[in-house]
Amino acid sequence: MTWLHLAIISPFLLAILIPFLYRYARNIHTGWFVFLLPLALFAYFLTYVPVTSGGGTHQANLPWVPSLGIYFNAYVDGLSLLFALLITGIGALVVLYSIYYLSKKTEPLHNFYVYLMMFMGAMLGVVLTDNLIVIYVFWELTSLASSLLISYWFHRQASIYGAQKSMMITVFGGFSMLGGFSLLYVMTDTFSIQEIIAQADQVVESPLFLPAMLLILLGAFTKSAQFPFHIWLPDAMEAPTPVSAYLHSATMVKAGIYLVARLTPVFGGTPEWFWLLSGFGILTLTWGSISAVRQKDLKGILAFSTISQLGLIMCLLGLGSASLYFTDADETTMYATATLAAVFHLVNHATFKGSLFMTAGIVDHETGTRDIRKLGGLMTIMPVTFTVSLIGTAAMAGLPPFNGFLSKEMFFTGVLNATELNIFNMETVGFIFPVFAWIASIFTFLYCLIMFFRTFTGKFEPSNYEVDHVHEAPKGMLISPVILGSLVIIFGFFPNLLTYTILEPAMAAIIPDSMNYIESAIFNIYHWHGFNAEIFMTLGVVAFGALLFINMGKWSALSIYQKERDPLNRAYDGSLDGLITGSQAVTRIQMTGLLRDYFAFMLVFMVMLLLYSMFYADAFAINTQDLAPISPHMWVLTILFIAATLVMPFINHRVTAIITIGVIGFLLALFFVVFRAQDLAITQLLVETVLVILLLLAFYHLPEIRKETFKPVFKLTNAVISVAVGVTVTLIAFSAHAMQHERPFGAISEYFIENTYELTGGQNMVNLILVDFRAIDTILEVLVLAIAALGVVTMIKLRMNGREDV
Amino acid sequence: MNSLVVLPVLLPFLVGSILILLVKRHALQRWISGITMTALLVLSIILAVVVYQDGIQISELGNWEAPFGIIFVADMFATLMVVLSSIVGFTCLFFAFRTIAPVREKYYFYPFYFFLLTGVNGAFLTGDLFNLFVFFEVMLIASYILIVHGSTNYQLRESFKYVAINVFASLFFIVGVAYMYAATGTLNFAHLAERIDEMEQTGVLNVIAILFLLVFAMKGALFPLYFWLPRSYYGPPAAIAALFGGLLTKVGIYAIIRMFTLVFNHDPTFTHNIILALAGFTMFFGVLGAVSQFDFKRILSYHIISQVGYMVMGLGLYTQLAIAGAIYYIAHHIIVKAALFLFAGAAQKITGETHLKKMGGLLGSHPVLAWMFFITAISLAGIPPLSGFFSKFALILSGFEEGRYIIVTVALIVGLLTLFSMIKIFMYAFWGERKHTEEQSQMKIGSVLLPIVPLVALTIIMGFAAEPIFQYSEAIAAELLEPDVYINSVLKE
Repeated sequence: MTWLHLAIISPFLLAILIPFLYRYARNIHTGWFVFLLPLALFAYFLTYVPVTSGGGTHQANLPWVPSLGIYFNAYVDGLSLLFALLITGIGALVVLYSIYYLSKKTEPLHNFYVYLMMFMGAMLGVVLTDNLIVIYVFWELTSLASSLLISYWFHRQASIYGAQKSMMITVFGGFSMLGGFSLLYVMTDTFSIQEIIAQADQVVESPLFLPAMLLILLGAFTKSAQFPFHIWLPDAMEAPTPVSAYLHSATMVKAGIYLVARLTPVFGGTPEWFWLLSGFGILTLTWGSISAVRQKDLKGILAFSTISQLGLIMCLLGLGSASLYFTDADETTMYATATLAAVFHLVNHATFKGSLFMTAGIVDHETGTRDIRKLGGLMTIMPVTFTVSLIGTAAMAGLPPFNGFLSKEMFFTGVLNATELNIFNMETVGFIFPVFAWIASIFTFLYCLIMFFRTFTGKFEPSNYEVDHVHEAPKGMLISPVILGSLVIIFGFFPNLLTYTILEPAMAAIIPDSMNYIESAIFNIYHWHGFNAEIFMTLGVVAFGALLFINMGKWSALSIYQKERDPLNRAYDGSLDGLITGSQAVTRIQMTGLLRDYFAFMLVFMVMLLLYSMFYADAFAINTQDLAPISPHMWVLTILFIAATLVMPFINHRVTAIITIGVIGFLLALFFVVFRAQDLAITQLLVETVLVILLLLAFYHLPEIRKETFKPVFKLTNAVISVAVGVTVTLIAFSAHAMQHERPFGAISEYFIENTYELTGGQNMVNLILVDFRAIDTILEVLVLAIAALGVVTMIKLRMNGREDV
Repeated sequence: MNSLVVLPVLLPFLVGSILILLVKRHALQRWISGITMTALLVLSIILAVVVYQDGIQISELGNWEAPFGIIFVADMFATLMVVLSSIVGFTCLFFAFRTIAPVREKYYFYPFYFFLLTGVNGAFLTGDLFNLFVFFEVMLIASYILIVHGSTNYQLRESFKYVAINVFASLFFIVGVAYMYAATGTLNFAHLAERIDEMEQTGVLNVIAILFLLVFAMKGALFPLYFWLPRSYYGPPAAIAALFGGLLTKVGIYAIIRMFTLVFNHDPTFTHNIILALAGFTMFFGVLGAVSQFDFKRILSYHIISQVGYMVMGLGLYTQLAIAGAIYYIAHHIIVKAALFLFAGAAQKITGETHLKKMGGLLGSHPVLAWMFFITAISLAGIPPLSGFFSKFALILSGFEEGRYIIVTVALIVGLLTLFSMIKIFMYAFWGERKHTEEQSQMKIGSVLLPIVPLVALTIIMGFAAEPIFQYSEAIAAELLEPDVYINSVLKE
């Protein structure tokens, strides 16, 4: 256990304390206690910046379940540090914001902060450990914490729905990811990412390579809301806004990005990886940006915007992975630009999206609504919120001089470079990347305009709001968005603050092999590159976006704009409904509640399996070696016995049935007599007599058997099953008997025959087996009878109605 | 004769018999039961430790040596099962103290309870096939009475099916014993193993193997022999449902694992592949049942079936890792399943309901119950870092290692559907608008929850401290895959 381990688990430890802090320090908002931890952790992780920016890494080992290859090994390199700083940095700001957002008087704060700390610890665990299974463990914890936060207002149906949806989709991804990790283990015999990277060549050649990749990508795509799994994210907006800002835009949804980046050294440089990432990324980017335009809820817009931006980053990681294919400076540099853009945009997105979520939260908090059809004219009422939103929106729209512009330009460079690739079939279809990127950017620009102008400009209508007096948020609530907004500007003006400290080390972790060839020029990020293709694309985006916005009146009546819900939800809802109705149908067919059905199912299965195994083992054998001759009275007995049994199913009268059973029993006793087993014969006679008398006594009080008529098919089926059971049992009996003559040794009964008198002094061997050799059997059978007797008493005397207890 | 081996059977037998005489003395019954159960727990742990340190312990009853007399054999697998039965027996008993109607105590509730444990522990410890049958009978007859205890109309109707199918299974059991004796001439497990090894498990021995698989599959609720289970477990009080849900099917699973590692281990491509197929179907149909239900207890009942599938999946894969996973799974499942049934009881005590659509908002009124349930529920679904994850993970990993992708896929999908159905319980009963009365939401249930705390603690500990538990499971798996040790210690060769 090192400081690094402690840093990862410290949020969990704090989570345990929170309920007590909440309970015993009600006067102080619980958030203040919580706030200190991410702040301290942020400072702690800053101390690692010199390590990783020098190209170093830090690892601290701690075995957890070595038998299964699970080691809690903490690992810090440029990529994990970038995420750790995001998690703790944004985490601190979000906690600070939440202190003003959630009232200590009315909200169950202990729940909120326990979930939040659970999330923070889990997220730190995901990015700071080297073992795939440990990552998986923390990964599922982030899903869990996320669902709990979505369901924070658990009496609302929408919250429950969103929580369930996010859990089902992300855990589905998690399970398949676990499968993928296991396949990696089968290939490499380790769960350590660093060790797997060392064996990457072997992995690529394995036939399990593609299944492992697909399964892992399912995990990454579900978590990072890639098309078509993105549908959980808009419903996750039911969570309190600080949560949306933190989990559902800045950190958790980037876990998938992290995983993809982390495993790029293993899978990168292959066409499958390239195409899956860039293809799904660009699709998600486009789908998300178009869907965002249709939203009327501020957070809905932001949710789809997040989806689209995540697609953008995913696409860039895919395009960047191509650099691993090359080993010369020009080409490697050209494609590595995409990776740099991905890392840079990751940071930028966290800043501008975080600030936008917080301002949306402020609007909601102060006005009581987030519906852009009701909002308007807040510019003068909320000047600070307005300013921060302006900065954030401009960055998201990709306007200079903010950081979003820089990474958007680099994104355009990346997709333009991709068209020059002459591998992976890109020479034929590569052109779609710039086209889609450009279209998506237009829609991004459009929803930025809609969101911003509908909220802050236009006419302020007091009647639209439930609150009496709309005003600016309290100062405390503005601190966090203002800080994030400032970062948007700072990173916009001084991007090189980040490049060598954060971005380059992160890149080194994603495409380590390419780092040797990359020209250092690409790390110099600046605004003005002259009149190149990128700037014209941006100008086009602004022009078309503005045009669409101005003409909004014309197209906003279209039905596609009127509907907000993502059509893919139908697939999800439909499959859940289908799952339930389907499972009900399956269960209804077999669980009929009728004993005769149960027996029919079971017997058919048993007979078939037994006959199959007889066939398989070639087991049937019959041995007539030492069979006794059958005397005439034996024939009589046997025929009577069989006849009495055959009559049974045709009897409709209860007393007759009981008497027939008696007849069968007494005939059995006669068999025992014939075989000279007097003890058994007496027992059988006794049992049979008592049985018949008891049954007659009891049945005297019962009504007549109801006459039931069955279809002949039903009767025939039952007859066939019965005969089959009888035949099977007989066949096995013959074969088992035959085995007796084949085996090289006798039965243990020979021992009893030889030694009983000597050992026990008694001559009745059967009795002595019962009361001496195997006395425990007899004692227990006595117990069985005693329990049965007590049971009868209980059943007769104790009658309850089922509501007395649980 | 090593008396420590016999005590887990003898103690509940004797105490149960004595309690018959004290049924009118409620407090005394409780004291005696509580003390006995505690003693049993301590004893079983001591036995497990002794066996872990010194190897297999045997006890020759009446000093008749194997294979002629009946031998109790305590190996690590058996003692683990006895410990688990004591843990569940302990918690359910104390839960029963808090919940059952006093009138039940007058009608031999505690004697039946201890007789059931007698049968269960005996089934784990015996080394003789016929004696196993007898212990099954003891266990079953006690279970018949406990499941119908109270004789509500529902119980009488559904218990009849339970009894009918189980009596039928017992019939096949005894037929199988007869076949086995005819074919091999012996009944002692070790002796059977030795002889079947010599006969190379040919011909009808394979058929007998399948017959025993079917018999124990009926007791263990495997596909398609589980019909008796879901409805019958709905009837009895929660303490009994929990004891049954945790323990009873696992006796069948124990017998399957014992039979197919010790005795019928010579043709695994035939027998163990059938087991694997059954495992897949069991998991799948069981979980579909759970998905289809909207009743707290019924969902849990169907989950017993699906979970049993995982355990035999480990046996079907038949590697050390897989069997270790199965052992881990059994331990995990017994604890978690018992806890879940007890939570259902606690929720019912508050709301008077088990139907999910009539429940809601328990998280608001009873957060401790809600969170304890939540932890246990996600453990059942295999969410890390709880016990359910590591047991499932070992199975999945070994399945991948063996290249058995279909069963692994089924296992993962079933895991997801398990989560779905457990979250369904959470959604309806714990989230949402409160549907119980103000008075009900004020009900204090700390004393009802207290007996469940150890179970929840165990599922957490078994997750975080997975290493020692897993090493223990691996040791058991190694022991099961080396049957010679068992055979030699019984037959003293």
